[in-house]
Amino acid sequence: MSLLTIDNISVNYGRLTALRNASLTLAKGETFFVTGPNGAGKSTLLKAIAGVVAPKSGTIHFANTDIGGRTPEDIARLGFSMVPEGRHVFGSLTIEENLRLGVGMRDDKDAAERELETIYSVFPMLKDRRYQTAGVLSGGQQQMLVIGRALMANPQLIAIDEPSLGLAPKVIDDVYAVLLKLRDTRGLTLLIVEQSSTRATMTGGRMILLRGGEIVLEGDARELTKGDALKAAYFGYGEHH
Amino acid sequence: MTALLQILFDALSLGSLYALGAIGIALIFGVMRLVNFAHGDYISFCVFALLWPSIDAAAIVFAGQLPAYLLIPIILATGACLSMLSEILVFRRFRNANPATMMIASFALGFVIKYTLLMLFSSRPKSIDLWSELALPVEILDARIPLLQVITIIITVLILAALVAFLKRTRFGLEMRAAAENFTMARMLGVRANAVILLAFAISGMLAASIGLILVTQTGTVDIQMGSSVMLVAFIATVIGGLGSLPGAVVAGFLIGGISVLMQVILPLDVRPFRDAFVYGAVIVVLIWRPNGLFAPRSAKQRV
Amino acid sequence: MTERPSIFMRTLSTPIILIMVLVFFLALAALVNSGPFNQVVIDAMVKVTLVVGLYVFIGNSGVISFGHIGFTCLGAYATAWLTIPPMMKKMSLPGLPDLILETKLPFGVAIVLGGLFAALFALVVGKILMRLSGIAASIATFAMLAVINTVYSNWERVTGATSSVVGIPIVRVVWPYFLVAAAAILIAHLYSISRSGLALRAARDEAIAASASGVDIGRERLTAFVISAFIAGLGGALSAHSVGVVTPDTFYLNLTFICLSMLVVGGMNSLSGAVMGVVVLSVIIQVLRQFEKGVDIGGSILAIPNGLQEITIGIVMVVILIARPSGLTRNTEIVWRGWPFKRVSAAAES
Repeated sequence: MSLLTIDNISVNYGRLTALRNASLTLAKGETFFVTGPNGAGKSTLLKAIAGVVAPKSGTIHFANTDIGGRTPEDIARLGFSMVPEGRHVFGSLTIEENLRLGVGMRDDKDAAERELETIYSVFPMLKDRRYQTAGVLSGGQQQMLVIGRALMANPQLIAIDEPSLGLAPKVIDDVYAVLLKLRDTRGLTLLIVEQSSTRATMTGGRMILLRGGEIVLEGDARELTKGDALKAAYFGYGEHH
Repeated sequence: MTALLQILFDALSLGSLYALGAIGIALIFGVMRLVNFAHGDYISFCVFALLWPSIDAAAIVFAGQLPAYLLIPIILATGACLSMLSEILVFRRFRNANPATMMIASFALGFVIKYTLLMLFSSRPKSIDLWSELALPVEILDARIPLLQVITIIITVLILAALVAFLKRTRFGLEMRAAAENFTMARMLGVRANAVILLAFAISGMLAASIGLILVTQTGTVDIQMGSSVMLVAFIATVIGGLGSLPGAVVAGFLIGGISVLMQVILPLDVRPFRDAFVYGAVIVVLIWRPNGLFAPRSAKQRV
Repeated sequence: MTERPSIFMRTLSTPIILIMVLVFFLALAALVNSGPFNQVVIDAMVKVTLVVGLYVFIGNSGVISFGHIGFTCLGAYATAWLTIPPMMKKMSLPGLPDLILETKLPFGVAIVLGGLFAALFALVVGKILMRLSGIAASIATFAMLAVINTVYSNWERVTGATSSVVGIPIVRVVWPYFLVAAAAILIAHLYSISRSGLALRAARDEAIAASASGVDIGRERLTAFVISAFIAGLGGALSAHSVGVVTPDTFYLNLTFICLSMLVVGGMNSLSGAVMGVVVLSVIIQVLRQFEKGVDIGGSILAIPNGLQEITIGIVMVVILIARPSGLTRNTEIVWRGWPFKRVSAAAES
């Protein structure tokens, strides 16, 4: 039974079609990458799932519920956590307050407290600074914060838009190490947008390539990078539009 | 020394009113990016809720005859309800509209409220006796200060303290602060947009009601235009303080109150009627010096 | 290949259509035909002038100005100073300089001078204000309005303070007002297709890109500010001659919000929006006023209670904005492209 099913959605911004006829399915526990050049529609895809933009056509099912047209807070409450591009920490709130925001959806308050401790154990540097305002953190630390914050709700699926953006390679390694550990220990389903397919290859999992708002390639990450299909799709060799 | 003390209390009590008004506007602006021009009319509405509808010059006090412990909650509730109603009926339709449209919509709403009051009560100011014993002066360090001024300042401080406690210590307060900083991101974390906005409106309405009560007690009259002058200064204070910053709004409110009183004192006699011109001139100076406001909040960045 | 007609020729249809709309409005009023309607039509022409002036600045710069009615006040009092008979002036406004006390200028000259006076003020003040952007600029313009109002409400020897200044020659015929409104539309149009107007709109939409393309945003804004002040001042002067009396509070918050509302409801970023906003709302207000007086429908009189007219207009404005958030004209200009009228995006015109 798939966790997320996207069926033929299209998204418009005014007269601009950002995403066209996109379909994909995600099973629980999978690791799934969305790659492609700038402006291909990757962020739009994630925003459509999150409920921030409404698809003009097509349906999206998450956890057996049709989430098309639902509000972001409703979708979040179904077990979907989104980490948008740009590390949007709440700079005027403390680290602990940032984390606690993700908790409001949990009914069991004790479980929420335990969750906080778990997150602190996964991200010890956050615990050191728990009462400082989030605005003073470095890029990498902010990335850890927003991921930790997204996890506080104990989601089934976490979608991260460009976790590597603006981070040093060593830091990106750390971030991915954490993500994969969580995947293995909690059965977390990962949906990750990355501009470069390198991480996809390193991490393994399925992958789609978006270009010009359409899915032009789909398959296993490692398989795809072996052949020329990926390069061709990325750069549009042999196509004249 | 006594003169100084009197000036200080004048400035503080005037600044308190402006600060309360500015917070009411800043709260809603923070979560919705809307400048609510109807706020002044909420103030007037709450004040008229004390009366029995009539066009006579001497107000027939209706709710105003109730004892304080009933009167205050009722008026506060009136403010909250009116405010929440305007969100549900009007502002909710403009969630994604551009600022100018929202502004005109709020002005139109204020217009409707004002003329409804006009229809029920006529435009003549009415006299009303509400807690007039509070106008008696009190001796503080040899200066005679109207008791009402002292009470205004104390109440404002209490309200501010309660607001801070609410924002920093409660779940709703946390969600509101997050929503004010980045509304969409907050929603993605499960914060219920409508609930937070409604709450902001409710608090704003209660603040309007408090201002109304203070004004009535101060002036002994009830008048349709009552809220406007406070509202205008509050609007300016919100911008000078830094749009979206609550501490900024408070500071700016007291600042304008202070400048206003100061001008009244130091300007030579024949220039004194032009005092307001100097205050507004000072506003322009502040804006040129700090266009983003005194406390431009971090959320001046891009939102998701 | 035939040469493409100049932008002036291509867009000429817009101001022509708008002026025709005014004529139509006049004709309509003439049909309904009675004395009071003259006043209604005159008032509408004045509002058209004011709102068009407002559009020149707000529509092109994107900065919402709360202060333009201040220019209206300046223009109104200026024409009062110039046209009130010297005998009256010496008694009621003794503080005026002797040159002005002795003068009595004809109506046409006085109103233009009134506009120029406002424009001059805008030039001086604008140099300071146009450094600001966005909301700061809006509040600064509001502060300017408040300063003007305070000064005029207190400077007894020059403006009569809060008492009405009477004696302004009343002009009761419609055609001068219509001419000025039409001229305002033409000026506004010429400005918006000019280089300066185009540059300003570019800056409105994408400030950084415009700046990088060499647009001096401050200077272009100042130009729009001054031109719009001239038109607003002209409108104020007209308004003074329509009632013969001026007081500072006529030109303060109420008028500010009425004009802003008409502009936004019509469509803030288009000249057509300015005109249509005034026309549509004026018609609705008139209809409601008639209902207040009582309308004879099939023999029985239907009347609505007093005060309901304003409430209704407020509700109507909200409803229009809910249905069309960017205004009635949806921020497009009305253009003649064959029959029937077509709407063209204001961007496509440039």
